[in-house]
Amino acid sequence: MSQIHRIKGGLIDRSTEISFTFNGKAMRGHPGDTLASALLANGQRLVGRSFKYHRPRGIFTAGSEEPNALVELRKGAAQEPNTRTTVAELFDGLSARSQNHRGSLEFDLMAVTDLLSPFLSAGFYYKTFMWPRAFWEKLYEPAIRASAGLGRLSMEEDPDTYDKGYLHCDLLVIGAGPAGLMAARTAARAGARVIVADEDFVLGGRLNAETLEVDGAAGADWAAGVVAELAAMANVRLMPRSTVYGAYDHGVYGVLERCTDHLASSGGKPRQVLWRVYSRHAVLAAGATERPIAFGNNDRPGVMLAGAVRAYANRWGVAPGRRVAVFTNSDDGWRTAADLAAKGVEVPAVIDTRDAPAVCDVPGARHMRGAAVMDTKGRKGLRQITLTDGQMIDVDCLAVSGGWNPNVHLTCHQRGRPAWRDDLAAFVPGHDLPPGMVVAGAANGAMTLAAALREGRVVAERLGYADKSDLPRAEDEPRDCAPVWHVPQSRARAWLDLQNDVTVKDVKQAHQEGFRAVEHLKRYTTLGMATDQGKTANIPALAIMADCTGRTIPETGTTIFRPPYTPVPIGALAGRARGREFRPYRLTPSHRWAEANGATFVEVGNWLRAQWFAREGEQGWRDSVDREVLMTRGSVGICDVTTLGKIDIQGRDAGEFLNRVYCNGFATLAVGRVRYGLMLREDGIAYDDGTTARLGEHHYVMTTTTANAVTVFRRLEFARQCLWPDLDVHLISTTDGWAQFAVAGPNARNLLRKVVDESHDLSNEAFPFMACGEVTVCDGMPARLFRISFSGELAYEVAVPARYGNAMMGVLMEAGREFDAVPYGTEALGVMRIEKGHAAGNELNGQTTAHNLGMGRMVSRKKDCIGNVLSQRPEMLREDAVKLVGFRPVDRATGLIAGSHFIGQGDAATMENDQGWMSSVAYSPSLGHSIGLGFLKRGDARMGEILRAVSPVHGREMEVEVVSAHFIDPDGERLRG
Amino acid sequence: MIINHPLLGPRDAAEFVYLGDAALIDRPDWQAEDAAEAFHAYGYLRDNPAGAHQELWYHEQGDRSWLVVTRDTVSHEITAVELARDVARARGRSR
Amino acid sequence: MAEYTLQAEPPLAGTEMEIAGVRLSAPADLAVVSLALPLGGESAAEEAVKDAYGLDFPGIGRSALAGDGTRLIRLAPDLVFALFTHATPDAERVVAEGLKGAVYTTDQTDVWVALALSGPNTRRALERICPVDLHPEVFGVDHAARTVMEHLGVLILRAGADDYLLLSASSSARSFLHAVEVSLRNIA
Repeated sequence: MSQIHRIKGGLIDRSTEISFTFNGKAMRGHPGDTLASALLANGQRLVGRSFKYHRPRGIFTAGSEEPNALVELRKGAAQEPNTRTTVAELFDGLSARSQNHRGSLEFDLMAVTDLLSPFLSAGFYYKTFMWPRAFWEKLYEPAIRASAGLGRLSMEEDPDTYDKGYLHCDLLVIGAGPAGLMAARTAARAGARVIVADEDFVLGGRLNAETLEVDGAAGADWAAGVVAELAAMANVRLMPRSTVYGAYDHGVYGVLERCTDHLASSGGKPRQVLWRVYSRHAVLAAGATERPIAFGNNDRPGVMLAGAVRAYANRWGVAPGRRVAVFTNSDDGWRTAADLAAKGVEVPAVIDTRDAPAVCDVPGARHMRGAAVMDTKGRKGLRQITLTDGQMIDVDCLAVSGGWNPNVHLTCHQRGRPAWRDDLAAFVPGHDLPPGMVVAGAANGAMTLAAALREGRVVAERLGYADKSDLPRAEDEPRDCAPVWHVPQSRARAWLDLQNDVTVKDVKQAHQEGFRAVEHLKRYTTLGMATDQGKTANIPALAIMADCTGRTIPETGTTIFRPPYTPVPIGALAGRARGREFRPYRLTPSHRWAEANGATFVEVGNWLRAQWFAREGEQGWRDSVDREVLMTRGSVGICDVTTLGKIDIQGRDAGEFLNRVYCNGFATLAVGRVRYGLMLREDGIAYDDGTTARLGEHHYVMTTTTANAVTVFRRLEFARQCLWPDLDVHLISTTDGWAQFAVAGPNARNLLRKVVDESHDLSNEAFPFMACGEVTVCDGMPARLFRISFSGELAYEVAVPARYGNAMMGVLMEAGREFDAVPYGTEALGVMRIEKGHAAGNELNGQTTAHNLGMGRMVSRKKDCIGNVLSQRPEMLREDAVKLVGFRPVDRATGLIAGSHFIGQGDAATMENDQGWMSSVAYSPSLGHSIGLGFLKRGDARMGEILRAVSPVHGREMEVEVVSAHFIDPDGERLRG
Repeated sequence: MIINHPLLGPRDAAEFVYLGDAALIDRPDWQAEDAAEAFHAYGYLRDNPAGAHQELWYHEQGDRSWLVVTRDTVSHEITAVELARDVARARGRSR
Repeated sequence: MAEYTLQAEPPLAGTEMEIAGVRLSAPADLAVVSLALPLGGESAAEEAVKDAYGLDFPGIGRSALAGDGTRLIRLAPDLVFALFTHATPDAERVVAEGLKGAVYTTDQTDVWVALALSGPNTRRALERICPVDLHPEVFGVDHAARTVMEHLGVLILRAGADDYLLLSASSSARSFLHAVEVSLRNIA
């Protein structure tokens, strides 16, 4: 097929031909075309099927407001559904397919739904599919999903990449039409940092689509000149193909830049970039959107907006039809007639709803005064129109102009409400604009070219940017408009929302059924809820609702405008955050050693930690974990515990500060000693625990749990700055600075003696349990040594500067070879802490108190500390409160289930009989059976009692015996040994 | 949102962490007669104004300062940003 | 006892590439020590710094280069970072001795990793990850800021007209390098 609808002129490069396919059919176009203009040039009027009724549809607009002509673009994984042909830039090799039909586009098997339309009117889902209920999931929904809907996903991973970014400017100009360009040039010449963003790939806005002149030159040429001037300025950033999709707080705007959508391949570069633009001021110069008039069968391919028809002729050198009638209620429609006629396109009639003289001379056209179109013919493309007086005119295109709506969307993104202007019969920006935003040009209701240029200059001046040059000369073209929303004589269905198939009748039905508020109207009929968000549909629809209710349009009001202005791909919102880079990950210093030694890793927050180290022959993780526990308890094991938060605390008042943030006393902690500390929340609930070492007179190192490292630091800063601002305390995180290893087991000291330099005495007398100190290892390497134990064994933690951590792991293992030292991971760590009865995250779960944890006596009443007062509330100290105790299964072969609840023998498993819950369980290789920690009412006084542990989630229960939580070495002989 | 840090200038709210009502600075005296009552009010009772609200923000991805931000909860307009430490001292907190 | 020796393995050691005309490298042996100013001892601290480095305290968000190559960065009213080239793991002691107890010092060398970027396209690449305005008239030479890039806390310093130094947590070094490298590749 050749480009049979090309006419002269336009901003396309005719010296180059590019090929593309539509439904597999080869077609040709030129650089500068959109897919829509190229389809029209090739005579392709039928482009898709409608959402609900599967009606044949064509191209309706020439911009991002397009409701109809959505296609699937590209092939394979890159296939993108619901792409508007009107904004898709043509490139060589582009492949597009129509969507929402079964069988071919021409013979859609689902078109039968159109015959069912009497049953498919507004609210039909709610009425029809109510009963029987069970049918919804199995029958109705799948059937509806199969028949309704738009394009298809490829179901493959998106092969493109996306990026984000941050831009800063004094002035963001939204829209590069006459007003935007004037504002940008004025501010740029005054030295401001200016960003100009426009959704189009050619800047200039309507200047490129009109035959209007500026300073005696073609409007498009004037625009190109301004763009060239701006492009040469270092303080200006021009952003074509960039949609400002949202206006956010404090001058922040969201901008989607389409970087490679106009290219056959992204070449490995991000397809789109989502920019966050920080602006001091913004000029909204987003122009206006033409609106249709509703009449019978107004949805046929070939019925188009008049401004779009004009744009195709002027900008793209395409006549959307051979005989094009114009149907208008305003002066603007006449320009379409005049421009087409001037380009040699036959214009048989201009049908003006107004009984007024011709606006201009249109050669060959009959002027039908006070007339309207009430019906059309042509199943797959317009053939004929019928006027209200019964006259029929053969046409293949009807250009409809119902007036223009200023694009106020972004003025309303912070709950602003637009104001109605009777003279324009349109909403214009109200007085509650986002702070920093001004509006200029057609977006502000300045509908003529001269007014737009003037306003662009004026708003820039109002923001303090001066340009003394003369205003460009342009005309105030006639813009009179007498609103007509609907041709009442229409007998056939008259469409409002083409994308969601909402007709005038649906709106009237919504009114009859009481869904009269606009927000109800919207949801009941789905008006404006499609991907175009009703840009061409909403105002006519609410005008009809206003008519039904006898209210004015401003009384009827608009629905809330929300971002995004046009659709933003999920990929762009995700940016780089996918796969491995979904979020940052943190590696422990010995990560490489662990990788090389068979570690399986587990995500702990952002950390990757070694979970266990499998050895050859082991059948599963339990084999590895059991071995790691037994070998550690039998001789010595080593674990990277760097992930625990470390906070360096210094200052004259550091001790006093610790005394106030921990519930237990720290005032008496001696230099060279470590103490366990429990932090409460101010409401008395246990928050975090860890050890704090006193390294010097005014120097402490606190450890936190891995999970709370960040929030504990935040709370300490809060206490330091907001509660006790005059304490001399300074905090800095050193979590990443020290590679810290637990060395645990009866041979821990023997191993460390080989690594710690000889000058340091590690004997039990010189370095007892809970001692700490700065030492050197491996011949002079500064290190820190803490004699603390999470496993319950004789244990130390040794820390070296993190960059030596990987080597240190190797050294510890090498030195431990004679003791059969074993590396252990987080699973063995967890097993050993449960065997020892240490509380961890499962126990410090934000619901438990020191009293529950059996640490009630630690809460000092002799000092102020966070959580002290409220932890003493009677409810929190109830005598029958749950207490942390241990459990073992009566049948030792049974595995306990975490999350089980304790129920008395013979009691029903109900909430009333609930006596507590199992918080942690593990198989204890040391004991040879499953063990658990849990909270039980008065648990500490119920040793030996037999209860049922019931897990309704698993549908299981078992008998358990209450025991001490300290399964291993209850007297602590090992860790003090 | 943008918070105009008193020392560092305008910064994206993404650098900050929100806590809540700046009344959290006014931690009661633990030894007062009505300490239990006062801590209960301190911990649980908040005003929820539609309009100007003094609230605590922490510049976690910045200089680690706690700020008292006066923000209109309806418009999000920020009318004042102060270092919480200064506010705390002005409210009589010391050691 | 010299049976065992420890080799340093800084996470980004050896990083060296050029993308989009920007040279990206990990400075070797960059030591970082934090100086916290004691409450009420600020002027004594300032004196000690002046004695040791011949520098007045830079303003908050600014840095200054001492004659010995040490760069002092003022991050907060009571917090200064000293950056200098020093291979052995005793940077904190070196600084502490010079300041004679007038400040609280903490070794931060291994807490951070650094990436240096230089070249005229650097700013354009950093637009993709850095929310702070790096326009030369706003973020001048010697300016410094802590901010967030790709969810990572980053200290960014403008060391020269087209020279930037970025510091981020050492445990997430790979994500940090990835974030910066991808930013360069995306503008190449």
